[in-house]
This record gives sequence, structure tokens and C-alpha cells, in this order.
Amino acid sequence: MTTEMTSNQKDQSPLLEGRGVSKYFGGLAALHNVDFAIYPGEIMGLIGPNGSGKTTLFDCLSRVQQINTGEIHFKGQEISKKKPFQVAHMGLARTFQVFRVYRKLTVLENMLLSRQWRNESIFRQLRPSHPDTDQRARELLEFLTLDHLTYEQAGNLSGGQQRLLEIGMALMPDPELILLDEAASGVNPVLINTIKDRILHLSNEQGKTFLLIEHNMEFIGDLCSRVFVLNFGEKLAEGTPEDVMTNEDVIEAYFGS
Amino acid sequence: MGRKILDLIRAIIFNRWVLAAIVVLLFLMPSLFYAREWCQELDAFTSPLQDSVCTYLIEEKPVTNAVLLNFTQLFILIILASNWNLTGGFTGYIDFGHAVFFGLGGFATALLMGSSRWEDWPALFSDWSFWPAMLGAGIVAAIFALLIGSFTLRLKGPYFSIAMLGTLVATREIVRASSNISGGGLGLSLPVYLNRPMFYYLSLVMLLFVVNFVRWIRSTEFGSSLVAIREDEVGAEMRGINTTLNKITVFCISAFLTGLVGGMWAYMNTFLDADIAFNQNRTIDMVMMTMLGGLGTVAGPVIGSTILYWLRDVLWANFLLFHQIFEGILLIIIVLFVPEGIMGLLDKDSSGTSLNRIVKGWFKKEPEEHPRTS
Amino acid sequence: MDFSDLLIQTLINGILIGGLYGVMTLGFSVIWGVMGVINLAHGEFLMLGAYMAWVLNKQQGWEPFLTLLVILPVMFLLGYVIQIVLINRIIEKPHLIALLVTYGLAIVMASTVKLIYTANPRITTTQFSGYWEFDFGGFVLPVTKTLVLIAALLMMFGLYFFLNRTRFGKSIRAAAQNKEAARMVGIEINKVYAATFGICIALTGAAGMLLSPLGSIHPFMGAAWTLKAFAITAMAGLGNIPGALLGGMMLGLVENLLATFVPTVGSSVGIISSFALLVIVLVTRPQGLFGGLKAPQEIR
Ligand SMILES: Nc1ncnc2c1ncn2[C@@H]1O[C@H](COP(=O)(O)OP(=O)(O)OP(=O)(O)O)[C@@H](O)[C@H]1O
Ligand SMILES: [Mg+2]
Repeated sequence: MTTEMTSNQKDQSPLLEGRGVSKYFGGLAALHNVDFAIYPGEIMGLIGPNGSGKTTLFDCLSRVQQINTGEIHFKGQEISKKKPFQVAHMGLARTFQVFRVYRKLTVLENMLLSRQWRNESIFRQLRPSHPDTDQRARELLEFLTLDHLTYEQAGNLSGGQQRLLEIGMALMPDPELILLDEAASGVNPVLINTIKDRILHLSNEQGKTFLLIEHNMEFIGDLCSRVFVLNFGEKLAEGTPEDVMTNEDVIEAYFGS
Repeated sequence: MGRKILDLIRAIIFNRWVLAAIVVLLFLMPSLFYAREWCQELDAFTSPLQDSVCTYLIEEKPVTNAVLLNFTQLFILIILASNWNLTGGFTGYIDFGHAVFFGLGGFATALLMGSSRWEDWPALFSDWSFWPAMLGAGIVAAIFALLIGSFTLRLKGPYFSIAMLGTLVATREIVRASSNISGGGLGLSLPVYLNRPMFYYLSLVMLLFVVNFVRWIRSTEFGSSLVAIREDEVGAEMRGINTTLNKITVFCISAFLTGLVGGMWAYMNTFLDADIAFNQNRTIDMVMMTMLGGLGTVAGPVIGSTILYWLRDVLWANFLLFHQIFEGILLIIIVLFVPEGIMGLLDKDSSGTSLNRIVKGWFKKEPEEHPRTS
Repeated sequence: MDFSDLLIQTLINGILIGGLYGVMTLGFSVIWGVMGVINLAHGEFLMLGAYMAWVLNKQQGWEPFLTLLVILPVMFLLGYVIQIVLINRIIEKPHLIALLVTYGLAIVMASTVKLIYTANPRITTTQFSGYWEFDFGGFVLPVTKTLVLIAALLMMFGLYFFLNRTRFGKSIRAAAQNKEAARMVGIEINKVYAATFGICIALTGAAGMLLSPLGSIHPFMGAAWTLKAFAITAMAGLGNIPGALLGGMMLGLVENLLATFVPTVGSSVGIISSFALLVIVLVTRPQGLFGGLKAPQEIR
């Protein structure tokens, strides 16, 4: 299998790299010996049938789950022993397939609570939130068309709106690597296009890196330069969207011919 | 209509001027006590005004030691409930053993002031005066919170609650068993100091400090991060909040303040043993009063404690035998029927909070749009 | 007695009391497992059973072991009614609600008993008390404690049989597994819950009777027993009967060893050791020593 890389990626070291990552739930291998590498500024897709271990991989990256074997390097540092908040401070943000918004707080408070905490001592937290943070939160809400809900309780939002709020909360700390878990599912088509534009903009202009889990192939095809396919916890294929979508193994895994 | 009445109540309670007036009155109250003492020392009244005022003060005794003591006890309850609210209400770690810090504070003060019955008690930690001893009580409580919290705060939900209940019960037993330090069944006697106004003012100042402190904490990012921990600890951690550190910090702060109060209470009570210092009911008071007022709100513990204290004083002082049974039933009723507390009732879809706005609102047809905050 | 004799005697005592600990935990852990309610009034139900035994023993002259015939049905009814009136309202609510409501219940029960029978410590006397002891090889096997162990084992076996072999027991287990599915197949969930609570309370009351001849009983003994039940459940997992027996014996052993070899702890040993066990188990293995405790994230 060929992995196409643009010239500038070849000589860069990966932003995120996993080697031999395995995660077992009892006897079930949710991830088995997976290797991957993501380069700065790249938009990478992560696809695979239901239950193939995509969300588990995210959980391992953001340190909700402890990996059983292997190592994960982010910005050159081994993170598989770090605490979740430390990884977040390093510039990794994610969204959750099953929403994790603070349901009883207002939308604005949700956003403010996701600001950049970056190794602050408790003393630095002993002040009201900074006007700039507030400004940024409101801008993001406006972009996500949630501004009319600024003071609504997050738990009262519709599924799609909570999905958008999750994206907002992931963008809030200005991270370098953003993991989006099915961020576009349940979002209306017009807004999906806006989100696509925003992702492209962030990637091209600010050099942000994305890893996207999606079942929507069009979304993947439009955005991603490379796609990574998982099946039963193992890497099945990797390559450009076109390559992967014509790959026999992938077709078989999805449609089980 | 009910809505409007609730709004009015809320607006009155939270009106800046009303609050200020209450505080001023509370500060002035003991002056009646002193005025009576002054009157009693007079040989003859020189003016009709003095005559009527002094006769009133001497005959009616509007402010006695007992009144001051009652208020002091109420203030102590409010402070305790507010402290408990920091961990229980904001952070969502329902502590069923918070009285352990109160008891430790009490014992620390007693020992530091030299009540130990043990000959080998180090002289360095003996015969301190009250103020450093009280500070020491807070520090002892905070250190204990750090030690115990670094284990128990890893537990979630009911496991934490029960582990803290266990901490309280086990500490009580250990303190009782180490009788050469704690006096065992005999208890410890502190230097006797029966200056009620002093304790009244001390607790009032502490009350004002603690309530404002809690309000300030809630307004900071630190306070918000505590709420985030309550709402979703895993999510908060992954969004960059150092949940362990924040939890332990707030736990220690809360324990420190509780220890201070315990120290003051011990000095006021002049006696303590394991049973009264580590009384389980004190924790339940904190929980119940906070729940009644509104969990996780700044004003909740104040309102809840005041109402519950008044209920105790007025309603079932006459049924002393049944009073514990009433308390249990009341706890069940509060939890089942007003789980959001009085603040929850007052706050629900509140159309406005300032007195001005409400009065204006009555003359308008449609209610004003008001952003809801939590 | 030399050291090894003392050790063996201590172990015997620990195992004897362990049976009682096991059976007294079951009510707590089954209610938790089936309904998700942590019953902080557990120790008070135990206390109630013990007082019933004491009243029948001292005022009517019954043999304590016979009072089980009254205690079991009465406590069942009490549990059934309390479940319908109170517990049913809190089943789906957050844990705090259940903890506080059952704590309120505990206060009411303890203070009512205190009002009627005062706070004086009491004890029942069986016909076997004191003078009868099995004696073999120099070790003492007090008859009362042995009988208590046997009764406890019988009750545990009875519950095990009931849950695993009878139709109703199976529907209880189904309800514990998946409420919705149980409802689909036509199990009347509310009745199952009420009956489960009744059975558990009956069992707890019976355990209260079993402890009444062994140590003094008083209205405020409940909290310590709830703590013990919690510690054993943390070791055993929810509704695990053999686990509860094992956990109970472990607690009994730890307690007796501490009491024998650490002289100063005295009467507080039970509370301190169960607390230590509880915190150690929960911190090191949040899923319970033998597994089966719900992960804290799942319970909200
Ligand atoms: N906490 C857990 N405990 C046990 N098994 C788990 C856990 N989390 C995930 N699994 C299992 O791991 C496998 C991978 O799950 P995962 O959520 O990663 O799938 P996915 O690729 O995200 O699927 P989908 O496309 O449906 O979201 C599944 O078989 C799932 O049952
Ligand atoms: Mg998934």
C-alpha cells in the first residue's frame, strides 16, 4: 500500500505518532498493534465499520483509556503516561461521540470552561474569566450559529446543537491537534459546509491539524488528504481517500461482499 | 401571581440595601446588651427618656446572653453549611463526614491552649492564646483534609460520601481511644471565657467573610472549574482542568474554615469530648440546611440554615422528645419535595431580580427578557 | 495460652462472627444491586430486628432463636410498605437523594426506638448463653456463636436457593440486570422491587436477632453496621452471596486479629478496621475486590 505524502510532510516529524498501540477490553481487542502518524497541518480521516475501535483510539489519545501496549508521541513527547488534562494543555482537543457538554450550565459557561488552561496555577484561576476569553467564546458561538442560545442551558439544546457546541468547546482552547468524533452527524447540510470551510481555513491559514472520524464519505473526501481505516481494531488500509475507497479490503469490510 | 410573589421575595432578600441594613442591625444588636449593663449600674435615672429606655431594657431584657448565644449558634451553622457547600454543592462531592474537620479543629484548639491531660504533651504546643490556637485548628484540619482527601477524593459519588462518613466515625473512635490525648470519656476542659458578645462578633465577622468568600470563589474561574467537575469530571479533566488539584484545594479550604469554626466553638463551649466534637448530626445539619436553601448556590446555605434554625427554635422546642424524629422526617420531605431548595424555587424562570425591575414590571404587560444564569 | 493457640482461637472467633457479617450484608448488597439504592438505614433495620428479639425475649420470655418466626414476617411487611411508600420514589433519582432519604429514615427509626426503649444498651439471653461451650483440643467454640454461624449459613443458602432456583427469584435477578427488558417479558417491576426490599429487610432483621445475644444493642448502633455492610459489599460486589460470606469472614478475621494483638484499640476496632478495609479496597480496586461493583462513572 502506498502512502502519498506531500513533500513538506516527508521531512517533517509527525505531530502525533502511535507505535504498536493495543487496547483490550477483557478478551476483546478494541485496538491491536496499530501504527499511525499524523503530520502538522494535515487533515486526516479515520474510518471503519461500527465497533472497529475508532472512538477507543480517540479515548486512548486523550487519555481517558489506558493503552495496554505501545507508545503514543505527541509533539515528540510520550503521552501514554500523562494525565488527560496534561495532554489537553499540550494542545490536543477532542469532541465526544456521546455528548459531554455540561448539561446544567449555560452554553456560554460551557464555552468559557473549555478555555485554554495551560499549566496555570490555582492562583491564576482566582479571577473572573478574561474579557478576551468571553469575546472568543461569543465569536465561536456566532460562527456555529448558536449565539441565540448563549444563555440557554446546554442540556436543553437539540442533538445537532449539542454537537455544534462540542465543536465549539474543542476549538475554544486554540489547540494544535483537534480530534473530531463524528462531528458532522446530525448537523444540517448548510452548516456542514460552513464547518468544512472552517476546518479548511483553520488548517490552511493557521496550520491546525485534524483527525476526523466520519461515516459520511463525502465529508471525508472533501476534506482529508489521507485516510486511515480500522477494522476489528487493526489497521486495514491507509492512503488518499480515492485509494482507500477503491481498496477491495475496505469495500469488503464495509459491505461484507 | 405566585410567580410575582416569589420574585418580590427574592428581590427583597437580595436587595443590596436590605442586606446592608440587616448587617448593620446585627452589628448594633449587642449594644442593647451593653446599654442594659450600663443602665443597671446607674444609681438613679436623670431624665424621663433615660428612665423609660432603661426601664424597658432592664424589665424586658431584649438582648440577653441567651439571645446572643442563639445568634452565635445560628451564625456557626451558616458558616458550616457554606463551607460544606464548597465541596458538596459546587464540586459535587457530597461529604457525609465534614464534621470531622470541625471536631479536629475543636480538639486542636483545646490541646494548643493547654488542656491536655497528658504529662508528656510537648510544651511547645501548649498554653497558646486563643487566636493562634484557632489558626492552628484550621491548619490541622486542612492538613488532615489533604491527607484523607488524597485518598477519598479519588472515589466518586456515593463511594466518596460513605468513605467520608467512615472517616468521621473512625476518627471519632480513634480520638476516643487515644485517651491520654483526648481525655477519652472525660473529655477536655478549655480555659473558661464567657464573653458572649465577643463570640457573637467573632462569628458574625467570620460569617460575613465566609459568605463573601464563597461568593467570590464562585465568580472566579476556579469556582467555575469546580462546577465543571460536578457536572462532568471526566469531561472537565479532558478539557484541561486539573481536577485532582482543584478538588483537593477546595477540600482543604473548606476544611480549614470548618476547623476554624470548630476551634471557636470549642472555646465557646469550654468543654469537649469525642462524641460532641465529632457529632454526626452536625454533618447532617450542614447537608440538610444547604439542601433546603439550595445546593450549589451562595445564598442557599444562609437561607436554609436560618429557616431550619428558626424551625427548631420555635416549632419543636416544645416537643423535645420528638425533635429528632421530626428532623428525620423533615430531611426526607426536603429531599423528596424541594430537592432544588428554596433558591431553586425562587430562581425558576425568574423574570427579574432587581426590586426596581420588578416594580416596573408590574405596570407593564409583557415580562422583560432576562438572561438566565446558573 | 501461647502465641499460636491465641492466634488459632482468634481465627476461630473471626470465622464464627464472619458468618453473621456475611448474612447481615446481604440485604444491603441485594437492595443496591437490584434497585441501585444505597440504604443508609440498613444498620437501623438490623437494630430493629435486634430490639424485636430483645422485647420478645425479655418481656415474653421467648428463646431468641425462636423469635425469628415473628421477626421474618413482620420485617418483611415493614420493608414491603416502606418500599412502596418511600423507596419507590427515589429509585431512578441521583444517588444523593437516596442517601439522604434513607439517612432520614435512619434518624427516624433510631430516635423512635430511643424514645420507647431509652438509649440503654441491651442484650438477649439464649438458653445456651454462657455456660455451654464446645471444647476440643483446648480451643473454645461458644455454642451461641456456633448456632449463629449455622443460622447465618442456612439463611444465606436459603437466599441463594431462592434467587437462583425459584421463578420469583429469577425475576428479581432479571430486574437487576435490565429493568426495561424485565418489564417487556411481563414482570411487574414494582411488585418485584417491593418484595425484594421486603425480603432483604426480613433478612436484615433476622441478622439483627442473630447479633442480639452476642453483643450489646442500642438505638444508635446502626451507623457502624451500615459501614461494615458497605465495606463487605465493596469487597464482595453487589448481590454476590458467596462473596459476602468470604468478605464477612475477612472482616471478622481482621477485626479479631486487631482486637487481640493491638491492645489499645479496644471496642472501636470494628469500625476502624472496616473503615480501613473499605477505603483501601475502594481506592485500589474501584470495581470491588472480587469485581462486580459498578464503576463509579456509571453511577451518577
Ligand atoms: N469501555 C468499554 N468497555 C468494554 N468494551 C468497550 C468499551 N469501549 C468500547 N468497547 C468495545 O470496543 C469496540 C470498539 O468500540 P468503539 O467505540 O471504539 O467503536 P467505533 O469504531 O467508535 O464505532 P462507531 O462507529 O459505532 O462509533 C467495540 O466492540 C466496543 O464494544
Ligand atoms: Mg465511535
